[in-house]
Amino acid sequence: MRRFTLFALIVFALAMGWMFALGPSGTQRAQTQFLGVIAPFLEKGSELERKITDIHRGLKKLEELETENKQLAVSNKELQAINQTLRDLEVENNHLRTAMHYRERAAFQLVPARVIARDASSWWNTIKIDRGSADGLKSDMPVLTESGLVGKTTTAIAEHAATVILISDENCKVASSIEGTREQGIISGERGSGSSQPALCMRFLSKTANLKPGQKVYSSGVGGVYPAGVFIGAIKEFRVRELDGYATLLPAVDLTTLEDVFVVLGKK
Amino acid sequence: MIRFFLILLFSAFGALVVQHFIPALPFLAGARVLLMPLVFFFGALTLPFGGMLALAFACGFMWDALTVQVIEVGMDSTSAMVVEIGFGWSILLYAVLGAVMSGFSPLFKRGRWEIHCLMSGLCTSLIVLTEFLLISVRRAALYNVPFEFNRDIWWRIGGPGLVALVLAPVVFFFLKSLAALVGYNPNEAEPEEEV
Repeated sequence: MRRFTLFALIVFALAMGWMFALGPSGTQRAQTQFLGVIAPFLEKGSELERKITDIHRGLKKLEELETENKQLAVSNKELQAINQTLRDLEVENNHLRTAMHYRERAAFQLVPARVIARDASSWWNTIKIDRGSADGLKSDMPVLTESGLVGKTTTAIAEHAATVILISDENCKVASSIEGTREQGIISGERGSGSSQPALCMRFLSKTANLKPGQKVYSSGVGGVYPAGVFIGAIKEFRVRELDGYATLLPAVDLTTLEDVFVVLGKK
Repeated sequence: MIRFFLILLFSAFGALVVQHFIPALPFLAGARVLLMPLVFFFGALTLPFGGMLALAFACGFMWDALTVQVIEVGMDSTSAMVVEIGFGWSILLYAVLGAVMSGFSPLFKRGRWEIHCLMSGLCTSLIVLTEFLLISVRRAALYNVPFEFNRDIWWRIGGPGLVALVLAPVVFFFLKSLAALVGYNPNEAEPEEEV
C-alpha cells in the first residue's frame, strides 16, 4: 500500500463516517447550503435557455406568423366573449353572496416563482424555483398554477431558491376526494412512470367505488399541508385490487413544461 | 496534478448544472442524460487513487445535496423526519465505481481510450440501477409499495448508459485538451512512495 493512498483512504473513511452520521437536520443544512451555491448558476442557465427559446420562436416563418396571428385574433374574440360572461356571473355571484350573507371565501397569499431547473435524476421528480427563505418560503408549502396543484416545497430552501417536490413523485402524497362522490384517497406519483406526462395514482379507494374516466379529483384538505379544493387531475382508469380500489389520474398541470408557479404562503 | 484536479472539479460542477437543462429523452422512456459521471470516470482513470477518492467525494456530495429527500413518516403524533436514502450513499457508490475504473487505468495509460467510453456507459447505468434498488428497498419498507421492474424502468436504467457511451469520446477529448493546457499528461502515472 502506498503512503498517499493509505492516507487518502483513512481521510475518505472518516469523511464517510461523518456523512452517514448526518441526521435529517444535518442533511437539510448541507442541501440548503449547496442549493445556495448552485442556484445562481441554475438561474443564469434558465435565463439563457429562455433567450434561446425566444430566438427560436422569433425565427418562425412569415406564413407561420400570419396563421398564428389569425388564430390568436379568433381566440382573442372568443376570450373576450367568455370574459364578459364571467364578469356578468361575478357580479351576479357577488349580489347573491351579499344577499345570502355568505362569508367571504378565504383567499390565499401567493408568491409567484419562476422554475429555474428541473431535476436531472431518473427517479426523483423535483424542480428548483427562484424564491427562497428571503421571500417567506418554508418547507411543506403547497405550490400550484392556475390549472391546479404542482406539489410542495421540500426542506431544501436557500435564501433565494427552493426545491419543490412534484405530485408525480412517489414521496409526495396528497389526501384527495373525487367530485360527485364521497370517495377519498391518497394521491402520489408512480416510480419510473414514462417520460411524457407522468400519471398519478390514487390509492385506498373503496372497492365498490363507481368511478368514470374524466371525473375530477381535488385535494381534500386532510393533513393540513394542502388547502381543500385544489384541482389535481382527472380519473383515467379505475381498477379493483385485493384490498382497495386504485385509480390512475391525468394531472391537471403539465408537469413537464412548468415555467411559472405560485407558492401558497398561507391565508390572507 | 492539483491544477488538473481543480479543472475536473469545476468541470463536474459545470456538468451537473448543464444536465439540469437537458430534457429527458422521450424515445428512451424518459431516460436522463448524466454528464457529471462522465467527468468523474475520466478523473478515475487519470488521477491517482487519492485524487479519485477526493473527486468521488465531491461528485457524490453534490449529487446527494440535490437529490436526497428528507421525508416525514408516521402519523401525526408519531411522525418523524427521516432521510430517505442516507446522505453519502452516492459518495460511496462513486468511490467503488471509481476504484473499479482505476483498475483499468494501466490499459488506459497505454492509449486504450475506448476503455473510458465502455466503462463510462456501464458504470453510469450501474449508478442509476443502484439508485433504483436503494429507493425501491427503502420505499418498500416505508410505504409497502411492491418492488416492480418494467420495460420503462429498464430503459431508464440502460438509457443514461447508452447516452454516456455516445458522449464519452467528446468528454474524453475535451478533458484531455484541458489537461494538456495545464501541462498534465493523463497517460503518465505519478511515482508514489511505498510504505
